[in-house]
Amino acid sequence: MAHNCIVVNLDRCTGCYSCEITCKMENDVALGEYWNKMLQRGPFGEYPNMVRYPLPTMCQQCADAPCVHVCPTGASYRDGNNVVLIDREKCIGCKYCMMACPYGVRDWNKASQTVEKCTLCGHLTANGELPACVKSCSAGARFYGDLDDPNSDVSQELAKYDEADIHELPNVGNNPCTKYIMTSMHGEWMEGVE
Amino acid sequence: MEIQWSLVLFTAVAGCGTWASVGVAVDELRGLTERTNRLASAVALVLAVVGGIASVTHLSHPDRIMAVLGHPTPGIFLEALLIGLFILAEVVYLILLARGVSAGVRKAVAVAAAVIGVVFSFASGYSYMMEARPTWNTIALPFGYLGFAAASGLALYLLLAALKKERDEALKLAGIETVVGGVLAIASGLAFGFASGAAMGDSAAVFWVSLACGGVVPAVCGWLACSKPASTLALGVVAFAGGIAGSVAFRAVMWMVGTAVANYFGIAL
Repeated sequence: MAHNCIVVNLDRCTGCYSCEITCKMENDVALGEYWNKMLQRGPFGEYPNMVRYPLPTMCQQCADAPCVHVCPTGASYRDGNNVVLIDREKCIGCKYCMMACPYGVRDWNKASQTVEKCTLCGHLTANGELPACVKSCSAGARFYGDLDDPNSDVSQELAKYDEADIHELPNVGNNPCTKYIMTSMHGEWMEGVE
Repeated sequence: MEIQWSLVLFTAVAGCGTWASVGVAVDELRGLTERTNRLASAVALVLAVVGGIASVTHLSHPDRIMAVLGHPTPGIFLEALLIGLFILAEVVYLILLARGVSAGVRKAVAVAAAVIGVVFSFASGYSYMMEARPTWNTIALPFGYLGFAAASGLALYLLLAALKKERDEALKLAGIETVVGGVLAIASGLAFGFASGAAMGDSAAVFWVSLACGGVVPAVCGWLACSKPASTLALGVVAFAGGIAGSVAFRAVMWMVGTAVANYFGIAL
Protein backbone atom coordinates (compact mmCIF):
# COMPACT_ATOMS: atom_id res chain seq x y z
CA MET A 1 0.00 0.00 0.00
CA ALA A 2 1.43 3.36 -1.03
CA HIS A 3 2.15 6.10 1.49
CA ASN A 4 2.16 9.21 -0.67
CA CYS A 5 3.25 12.33 1.16
CA ILE A 6 5.29 15.49 1.10
CA VAL A 7 8.85 15.67 2.40
CA VAL A 8 10.19 19.13 3.24
CA ASN A 9 13.90 19.75 3.41
CA LEU A 10 14.15 22.61 5.90
CA ASP A 11 17.86 22.97 5.17
CA ARG A 12 16.75 24.31 1.79
CA CYS A 13 13.49 26.04 2.71
CA THR A 14 13.76 29.83 2.64
CA GLY A 15 10.29 30.48 4.05
CA CYS A 16 9.26 32.34 0.92
CA TYR A 17 5.58 31.37 1.21
CA SER A 18 5.37 30.30 -2.43
CA CYS A 19 4.00 26.88 -1.38
CA GLU A 20 1.20 28.55 0.57
CA ILE A 21 0.36 30.99 -2.21
CA THR A 22 0.51 28.43 -5.01
CA CYS A 23 -1.70 26.09 -3.02
CA LYS A 24 -4.29 28.83 -2.66
CA MET A 25 -4.18 29.60 -6.38
CA GLU A 26 -4.28 25.99 -7.52
CA ASN A 27 -7.08 24.93 -5.18
CA ASP A 28 -9.02 28.18 -4.97
CA VAL A 29 -8.58 28.48 -1.21
CA ALA A 30 -10.28 31.63 0.10
CA LEU A 31 -8.61 34.49 1.92
CA GLY A 32 -8.10 33.59 5.58
CA GLU A 33 -8.39 29.87 4.85
CA TYR A 34 -5.52 27.43 4.39
CA TRP A 35 -4.69 24.01 3.06
CA ASN A 36 -0.99 24.76 3.45
CA LYS A 37 0.37 27.33 5.88
CA MET A 38 3.89 28.59 6.38
CA LEU A 39 4.77 29.11 10.04
CA GLN A 40 7.87 30.43 11.72
CA ARG A 41 9.20 28.40 14.63
CA GLY A 42 11.24 30.20 17.21
CA PRO A 43 13.36 32.04 17.92
CA PHE A 44 14.60 29.55 20.51
CA GLY A 45 17.70 29.63 22.69
CA GLU A 46 19.73 32.51 24.03
CA TYR A 47 21.65 35.12 22.09
CA PRO A 48 23.90 34.56 20.21
CA ASN A 49 22.95 30.87 19.86
CA MET A 50 19.43 31.27 18.61
CA VAL A 51 17.41 29.18 16.20
CA ARG A 52 14.49 30.14 14.02
CA TYR A 53 13.23 28.20 11.05
CA PRO A 54 10.27 28.14 8.67
CA LEU A 55 7.79 25.29 9.07
CA PRO A 56 5.36 24.68 6.22
CA THR A 57 2.34 22.79 7.57
CA MET A 58 -0.41 20.85 5.85
CA CYS A 59 -2.23 17.52 6.21
CA GLN A 60 0.41 15.06 7.35
CA GLN A 61 -1.26 12.05 5.67
CA CYS A 62 -1.19 10.10 8.95
CA ALA A 63 -0.89 6.33 8.66
CA ASP A 64 -3.44 6.01 11.48
CA ALA A 65 -5.50 9.05 10.59
CA PRO A 66 -7.83 9.93 13.51
CA CYS A 67 -9.91 12.15 11.21
CA VAL A 68 -10.93 9.10 9.19
CA HIS A 69 -11.75 7.11 12.34
CA VAL A 70 -14.11 9.74 13.81
CA CYS A 71 -15.90 10.87 10.65
CA PRO A 72 -19.52 9.73 11.04
CA THR A 73 -20.41 9.75 7.33
CA GLY A 74 -17.29 8.51 5.61
CA ALA A 75 -16.65 12.00 4.22
CA SER A 76 -13.06 11.67 5.46
CA TYR A 77 -11.69 8.62 3.75
CA ARG A 78 -8.70 7.01 2.07
CA ASP A 79 -8.77 6.70 -1.68
CA GLY A 80 -7.38 3.83 -3.73
CA ASN A 81 -3.89 5.26 -3.40
CA ASN A 82 -4.18 5.41 0.41
CA VAL A 83 -4.39 9.22 0.39
CA VAL A 84 -6.55 10.79 3.13
CA LEU A 85 -9.19 12.92 1.41
CA ILE A 86 -12.54 14.58 2.09
CA ASP A 87 -15.68 14.07 0.06
CA ARG A 88 -17.38 17.46 0.41
CA GLU A 89 -20.69 16.04 -0.72
CA LYS A 90 -20.78 13.75 2.32
CA CYS A 91 -19.53 16.25 4.93
CA ILE A 92 -22.25 17.20 7.46
CA GLY A 93 -20.08 19.86 9.10
CA CYS A 94 -19.87 18.22 12.53
CA LYS A 95 -16.18 19.20 12.76
CA TYR A 96 -15.25 16.04 14.66
CA CYS A 97 -12.38 15.53 12.24
CA MET A 98 -11.08 19.01 13.07
CA MET A 99 -11.22 18.14 16.77
CA ALA A 100 -9.45 14.83 16.16
CA CYS A 101 -6.65 16.25 14.01
CA PRO A 102 -3.62 16.68 16.32
CA TYR A 103 -2.24 19.52 14.21
CA GLY A 104 -5.25 21.67 13.35
CA VAL A 105 -4.44 21.46 9.65
CA ARG A 106 -8.01 21.00 8.43
CA ASP A 107 -9.75 24.00 7.01
CA TRP A 108 -13.34 25.17 7.44
CA ASN A 109 -14.67 26.40 4.11
CA LYS A 110 -17.06 29.18 5.06
CA ALA A 111 -18.69 29.23 1.63
CA SER A 112 -19.52 25.54 1.36
CA GLN A 113 -19.79 25.03 5.16
CA THR A 114 -17.70 21.90 4.91
CA VAL A 115 -14.25 20.76 6.02
CA GLU A 116 -11.44 20.79 3.47
CA LYS A 117 -7.73 20.12 3.45
CA CYS A 118 -4.66 19.38 1.33
CA THR A 119 -5.44 16.77 -1.31
CA LEU A 120 -1.81 16.33 -2.38
CA CYS A 121 -3.17 17.90 -5.58
CA GLY A 122 -4.65 14.59 -6.67
CA HIS A 123 -6.03 16.22 -9.82
CA LEU A 124 -2.43 16.95 -10.88
CA THR A 125 -0.67 13.81 -9.63
CA ALA A 126 -3.25 11.63 -11.37
CA ASN A 127 -1.88 13.05 -14.62
CA GLY A 128 1.72 12.51 -13.69
CA GLU A 129 2.33 16.07 -12.50
CA LEU A 130 3.66 17.19 -9.14
CA PRO A 131 1.55 18.89 -6.45
CA ALA A 132 1.48 22.65 -7.00
CA CYS A 133 3.47 23.40 -3.84
CA VAL A 134 6.25 21.01 -4.90
CA LYS A 135 6.33 22.29 -8.46
CA SER A 136 6.51 25.92 -7.36
CA CYS A 137 9.03 25.56 -4.53
CA SER A 138 11.70 28.04 -5.54
CA ALA A 139 14.29 26.48 -3.22
CA GLY A 140 13.70 22.89 -4.33
CA ALA A 141 12.84 22.03 -0.74
CA ARG A 142 9.64 20.07 -1.29
CA PHE A 143 9.35 16.51 -2.56
CA TYR A 144 6.38 14.33 -3.35
CA GLY A 145 6.09 10.59 -3.67
CA ASP A 146 5.55 7.20 -2.08
CA LEU A 147 7.52 6.55 1.09
CA ASP A 148 7.39 2.82 0.38
CA ASP A 149 8.94 3.18 -3.06
CA PRO A 150 12.74 3.43 -2.77
CA ASN A 151 12.90 5.10 -6.18
CA SER A 152 10.43 7.88 -5.35
CA ASP A 153 11.61 11.46 -4.91
CA VAL A 154 10.77 11.43 -1.20
CA SER A 155 12.62 8.18 -0.50
CA GLN A 156 15.66 9.29 -2.44
CA GLU A 157 15.80 12.62 -0.65
CA LEU A 158 15.38 11.00 2.77
CA ALA A 159 18.07 8.43 1.93
CA LYS A 160 20.65 11.23 1.78
CA TYR A 161 20.30 11.98 5.49
CA ASP A 162 20.85 10.31 8.83
CA GLU A 163 17.80 9.29 10.80
CA ALA A 164 18.69 11.94 13.39
CA ASP A 165 18.15 14.62 10.74
CA ILE A 166 14.66 13.41 9.77
CA HIS A 167 11.82 14.71 11.88
CA GLU A 168 8.05 14.66 12.12
CA LEU A 169 5.39 16.67 13.94
CA PRO A 170 4.43 15.44 17.44
CA ASN A 171 3.16 11.89 17.08
CA VAL A 172 0.32 10.92 19.43
CA GLY A 173 -0.29 7.55 17.81
CA ASN A 174 -1.40 8.94 14.44
CA ASN A 175 1.95 8.26 12.75
CA PRO A 176 2.30 11.20 10.36
CA CYS A 177 3.85 10.29 7.01
CA THR A 178 5.13 13.79 6.25
CA LYS A 179 8.82 14.16 7.11
CA TYR A 180 10.91 17.24 7.70
CA ILE A 181 14.65 17.17 7.07
CA MET A 182 16.81 19.45 9.19
CA THR A 183 20.47 18.95 9.97
CA SER A 184 22.33 20.41 12.92
CA MET A 185 24.31 22.51 10.44
CA HIS A 186 21.25 24.66 9.85
CA GLY A 187 19.55 24.54 13.21
CA GLU A 188 18.05 22.38 15.89
CA TRP A 189 14.63 20.79 15.38
CA MET A 190 12.38 21.76 18.26
CA GLU A 191 10.18 18.96 19.54
CA GLY A 192 6.64 19.77 20.57
CA VAL A 193 4.85 22.98 19.76
CA GLU A 194 5.12 26.58 20.85
CA MET B 1 -11.27 26.49 22.25
CA GLU B 2 -14.73 27.92 21.65
CA ILE B 3 -17.63 26.40 23.52
CA GLN B 4 -19.88 24.46 21.16
CA TRP B 5 -23.20 25.28 22.78
CA SER B 6 -25.25 23.00 20.54
CA LEU B 7 -23.25 20.02 21.75
CA VAL B 8 -23.24 21.26 25.35
CA LEU B 9 -27.03 21.50 25.36
CA PHE B 10 -27.42 18.19 23.53
CA THR B 11 -25.55 16.17 26.12
CA ALA B 12 -26.76 18.16 29.14
CA VAL B 13 -30.45 18.17 28.22
CA ALA B 14 -30.65 14.67 26.80
CA GLY B 15 -28.48 13.31 29.64
CA CYS B 16 -30.82 14.89 32.19
CA GLY B 17 -33.75 13.19 30.51
CA THR B 18 -32.12 9.78 30.29
CA TRP B 19 -31.24 9.86 33.99
CA ALA B 20 -34.78 10.92 34.94
CA SER B 21 -35.72 7.54 33.47
CA VAL B 22 -33.39 5.91 36.00
CA GLY B 23 -35.63 7.36 38.71
CA VAL B 24 -38.61 5.81 36.92
CA ALA B 25 -36.90 2.40 36.67
CA VAL B 26 -35.88 2.38 40.34
CA ASP B 27 -39.41 3.22 41.33
CA GLU B 28 -40.86 0.57 39.02
CA LEU B 29 -38.76 -1.94 40.95
CA ARG B 30 -39.70 -0.52 44.37
CA GLY B 31 -43.30 0.39 43.56
CA LEU B 32 -43.49 3.47 45.78
CA THR B 33 -44.69 6.31 43.59
CA GLU B 34 -48.14 6.29 42.07
CA ARG B 35 -48.33 9.26 39.77
CA THR B 36 -44.82 10.45 38.94
CA ASN B 37 -43.63 7.85 36.45
CA ARG B 38 -45.96 8.86 33.65
CA LEU B 39 -44.97 12.53 33.96
CA ALA B 40 -41.25 11.74 34.44
CA SER B 41 -41.20 9.49 31.37
CA ALA B 42 -42.99 12.09 29.25
CA VAL B 43 -40.54 14.76 30.41
CA ALA B 44 -37.58 12.42 29.75
CA LEU B 45 -38.92 11.77 26.26
CA VAL B 46 -39.29 15.50 25.56
CA LEU B 47 -35.77 16.23 26.88
CA ALA B 48 -34.27 13.48 24.72
CA VAL B 49 -35.98 14.88 21.63
CA VAL B 50 -35.02 18.47 22.47
CA GLY B 51 -31.43 17.36 23.09
CA GLY B 52 -31.37 15.54 19.78
CA ILE B 53 -32.63 18.63 17.98
CA ALA B 54 -29.96 20.73 19.72
CA SER B 55 -27.28 18.39 18.37
CA VAL B 56 -28.59 18.78 14.83
CA THR B 57 -28.22 22.57 15.07
CA HIS B 58 -24.46 21.97 15.33
CA LEU B 59 -24.39 20.59 11.79
CA SER B 60 -24.06 22.71 8.67
CA HIS B 61 -25.54 19.98 6.45
CA PRO B 62 -28.10 18.03 8.50
CA ASP B 63 -29.70 17.00 5.20
CA ARG B 64 -26.83 14.52 4.77
CA ILE B 65 -27.25 12.99 8.24
CA MET B 66 -28.58 9.65 7.00
CA ALA B 67 -25.08 8.79 5.79
CA VAL B 68 -24.25 8.25 9.48
CA LEU B 69 -26.18 4.97 9.29
CA GLY B 70 -23.58 3.57 6.93
CA HIS B 71 -20.69 4.14 9.33
CA PRO B 72 -21.33 2.42 12.65
CA THR B 73 -17.93 2.83 14.31
CA PRO B 74 -17.61 6.59 15.11
CA GLY B 75 -19.02 7.94 18.38
CA ILE B 76 -21.73 10.00 16.69
CA PHE B 77 -23.36 6.83 15.34
CA LEU B 78 -23.43 5.29 18.81
CA GLU B 79 -24.90 8.44 20.36
CA ALA B 80 -27.58 8.68 17.65
CA LEU B 81 -28.40 4.98 18.02
CA LEU B 82 -28.68 5.17 21.80
CA ILE B 83 -30.80 8.32 21.87
CA GLY B 84 -33.07 6.77 19.22
CA LEU B 85 -33.43 3.56 21.22
CA PHE B 86 -34.06 5.56 24.38
CA ILE B 87 -36.85 7.56 22.73
CA LEU B 88 -38.38 4.34 21.43
CA ALA B 89 -38.22 2.69 24.86
CA GLU B 90 -39.86 5.72 26.50
CA VAL B 91 -42.67 5.74 23.95
CA VAL B 92 -43.27 2.02 24.54
CA TYR B 93 -43.23 2.55 28.30
CA LEU B 94 -45.78 5.36 28.08
CA ILE B 95 -48.04 3.17 25.90
CA LEU B 96 -47.75 0.35 28.45
CA LEU B 97 -48.71 2.76 31.23
CA ALA B 98 -51.67 4.08 29.26
CA ARG B 99 -52.93 0.58 28.53
CA GLY B 100 -52.40 -0.67 32.07
CA VAL B 101 -50.18 -3.54 30.99
CA SER B 102 -48.83 -5.94 33.63
CA ALA B 103 -46.20 -4.63 36.03
CA GLY B 104 -43.61 -7.20 34.89
CA VAL B 105 -43.52 -5.96 31.30
CA ARG B 106 -43.54 -2.36 32.48
CA LYS B 107 -40.59 -2.97 34.77
CA ALA B 108 -38.62 -4.65 32.00
CA VAL B 109 -39.15 -1.75 29.59
CA ALA B 110 -38.43 0.87 32.27
CA VAL B 111 -35.18 -0.85 33.23
CA ALA B 112 -34.21 -1.22 29.55
CA ALA B 113 -34.82 2.51 28.98
CA ALA B 114 -32.75 3.36 32.06
CA VAL B 115 -29.83 1.16 31.00
CA ILE B 116 -29.84 2.68 27.51
CA GLY B 117 -30.01 6.12 29.09
CA VAL B 118 -27.07 5.50 31.40
CA VAL B 119 -24.96 4.13 28.54
CA PHE B 120 -25.92 7.14 26.41
CA SER B 121 -24.77 9.58 29.07
CA PHE B 122 -21.40 7.82 29.21
CA ALA B 123 -21.08 7.44 25.42
CA SER B 124 -21.79 11.12 24.81
CA GLY B 125 -18.60 11.93 26.73
CA TYR B 126 -16.63 8.97 25.43
CA SER B 127 -16.87 10.38 21.88
CA TYR B 128 -14.55 13.20 22.94
CA MET B 129 -11.73 10.97 24.10
CA MET B 130 -9.10 11.54 21.40
CA GLU B 131 -5.31 11.63 21.41
CA ALA B 132 -5.35 15.01 19.66
CA ARG B 133 -6.86 16.62 22.78
CA PRO B 134 -4.75 15.45 25.74
CA THR B 135 -7.00 17.14 28.31
CA TRP B 136 -10.00 15.21 27.01
CA ASN B 137 -8.23 11.91 26.65
CA THR B 138 -9.09 10.59 30.10
CA ILE B 139 -11.76 8.10 31.13
CA ALA B 140 -12.77 10.65 33.77
CA LEU B 141 -14.41 12.70 30.99
CA PRO B 142 -17.18 10.24 30.05
CA PHE B 143 -17.66 9.45 33.72
CA GLY B 144 -18.07 13.21 34.28
CA TYR B 145 -20.71 13.36 31.57
CA LEU B 146 -22.46 10.44 33.27
CA GLY B 147 -22.10 11.89 36.77
CA PHE B 148 -23.50 15.33 36.02
CA ALA B 149 -26.32 13.83 33.95
CA ALA B 150 -27.13 11.60 36.93
CA ALA B 151 -27.28 14.54 39.33
CA SER B 152 -29.49 16.69 37.09
CA GLY B 153 -31.76 13.82 35.98
CA LEU B 154 -32.35 12.39 39.42
CA ALA B 155 -32.90 15.89 40.84
CA LEU B 156 -35.51 16.36 38.12
CA TYR B 157 -37.19 13.14 39.22
CA LEU B 158 -37.21 14.40 42.82
CA LEU B 159 -38.85 17.63 41.68
CA LEU B 160 -41.49 15.81 39.65
CA ALA B 161 -42.25 13.45 42.54
CA ALA B 162 -42.75 16.48 44.79
CA LEU B 163 -44.97 18.14 42.20
CA LYS B 164 -47.11 15.01 42.09
CA LYS B 165 -47.32 15.01 45.89
CA GLU B 166 -46.04 11.47 46.32
CA ARG B 167 -45.94 9.79 49.74
CA ASP B 168 -43.08 10.63 52.12
CA GLU B 169 -41.54 7.20 51.61
CA ALA B 170 -41.36 7.76 47.85
CA LEU B 171 -39.94 11.24 48.28
CA LYS B 172 -37.26 9.89 50.63
CA LEU B 173 -36.24 7.33 48.01
CA ALA B 174 -36.07 10.03 45.36
CA GLY B 175 -34.01 12.11 47.80
CA ILE B 176 -31.53 9.27 48.27
CA GLU B 177 -31.27 8.85 44.50
CA THR B 178 -30.53 12.56 44.18
CA VAL B 179 -27.79 12.26 46.80
CA VAL B 180 -26.28 9.40 44.78
CA GLY B 181 -26.44 11.51 41.62
CA GLY B 182 -24.77 14.44 43.36
CA VAL B 183 -22.00 12.23 44.73
CA LEU B 184 -21.43 10.74 41.26
CA ALA B 185 -21.11 14.26 39.84
CA ILE B 186 -18.70 15.34 42.59
CA ALA B 187 -16.49 12.24 42.27
CA SER B 188 -16.38 12.17 38.48
CA GLY B 189 -16.08 15.95 38.24
CA LEU B 190 -13.10 16.02 40.60
CA ALA B 191 -11.46 13.18 38.68
CA PHE B 192 -11.78 15.08 35.40
CA GLY B 193 -10.82 18.39 36.97
CA PHE B 194 -7.50 17.09 38.22
CA ALA B 195 -6.80 14.74 35.28
CA SER B 196 -7.31 17.54 32.75
CA GLY B 197 -5.97 20.41 34.84
CA ALA B 198 -9.32 22.23 34.65
CA ALA B 199 -9.40 22.42 38.45
CA MET B 200 -6.31 24.64 38.55
CA GLY B 201 -6.08 26.48 35.23
CA ASP B 202 -7.81 29.47 33.64
CA SER B 203 -11.13 27.63 33.69
CA ALA B 204 -10.89 26.79 37.40
CA ALA B 205 -13.62 29.23 38.47
CA VAL B 206 -16.17 27.77 36.05
CA PHE B 207 -15.06 24.25 36.97
CA TRP B 208 -15.60 24.76 40.69
CA VAL B 209 -18.95 26.47 40.05
CA SER B 210 -19.98 23.44 37.99
CA LEU B 211 -19.00 21.12 40.81
CA ALA B 212 -20.81 23.19 43.45
CA CYS B 213 -23.99 23.63 41.38
CA GLY B 214 -24.03 20.27 39.64
CA GLY B 215 -22.80 18.05 42.48
CA VAL B 216 -22.97 19.64 45.92
CA VAL B 217 -26.36 21.36 45.52
CA PRO B 218 -28.25 18.21 44.38
CA ALA B 219 -26.49 16.10 47.02
CA VAL B 220 -27.37 18.49 49.86
CA CYS B 221 -30.93 19.04 48.64
CA GLY B 222 -31.45 15.30 48.26
CA TRP B 223 -30.15 14.74 51.77
CA LEU B 224 -32.45 17.43 53.19
CA ALA B 225 -35.41 15.97 51.26
CA CYS B 226 -34.84 12.66 53.06
CA SER B 227 -35.13 14.32 56.45
CA LYS B 228 -37.79 16.94 55.55
CA PRO B 229 -40.14 15.47 52.92
CA ALA B 230 -42.52 18.39 53.45
CA SER B 231 -39.97 20.75 51.87
CA THR B 232 -39.22 18.51 48.91
CA LEU B 233 -40.81 20.75 46.30
CA ALA B 234 -38.57 23.71 47.11
CA LEU B 235 -35.56 21.43 47.51
CA GLY B 236 -36.35 19.73 44.20
CA VAL B 237 -36.47 23.06 42.40
CA VAL B 238 -33.10 24.08 43.83
CA ALA B 239 -31.56 20.64 43.20
CA PHE B 240 -32.72 20.57 39.58
CA ALA B 241 -31.70 24.17 38.87
CA GLY B 242 -28.27 23.50 40.35
CA GLY B 243 -27.97 20.14 38.64
CA ILE B 244 -28.72 21.32 35.13
CA ALA B 245 -26.67 24.52 35.52
CA GLY B 246 -23.73 22.47 36.79
CA SER B 247 -24.11 19.95 33.99
CA VAL B 248 -24.01 22.72 31.39
CA ALA B 249 -21.04 24.37 33.13
CA PHE B 250 -19.09 21.08 33.31
CA ARG B 251 -19.49 20.56 29.59
CA ALA B 252 -18.53 24.18 28.90
CA VAL B 253 -15.34 23.63 30.93
CA MET B 254 -14.50 20.65 28.75
CA TRP B 255 -14.50 22.92 25.69
CA MET B 256 -12.58 25.65 27.48
CA VAL B 257 -9.70 23.30 28.30
CA GLY B 258 -9.82 21.35 25.01
CA THR B 259 -6.50 22.45 23.58
CA ALA B 260 -5.15 20.37 20.70
CA VAL B 261 -1.60 19.04 20.46
CA ALA B 262 -1.15 21.86 17.93
CA ASN B 263 -3.34 24.28 16.03
CA TYR B 264 -1.08 25.26 13.17
CA PHE B 265 -3.79 26.87 11.05
CA GLY B 266 -5.13 28.77 14.07
CA ILE B 267 -8.73 27.96 13.18
CA ALA B 268 -11.25 28.32 16.02
CA LEU B 269 -13.83 25.55 15.88
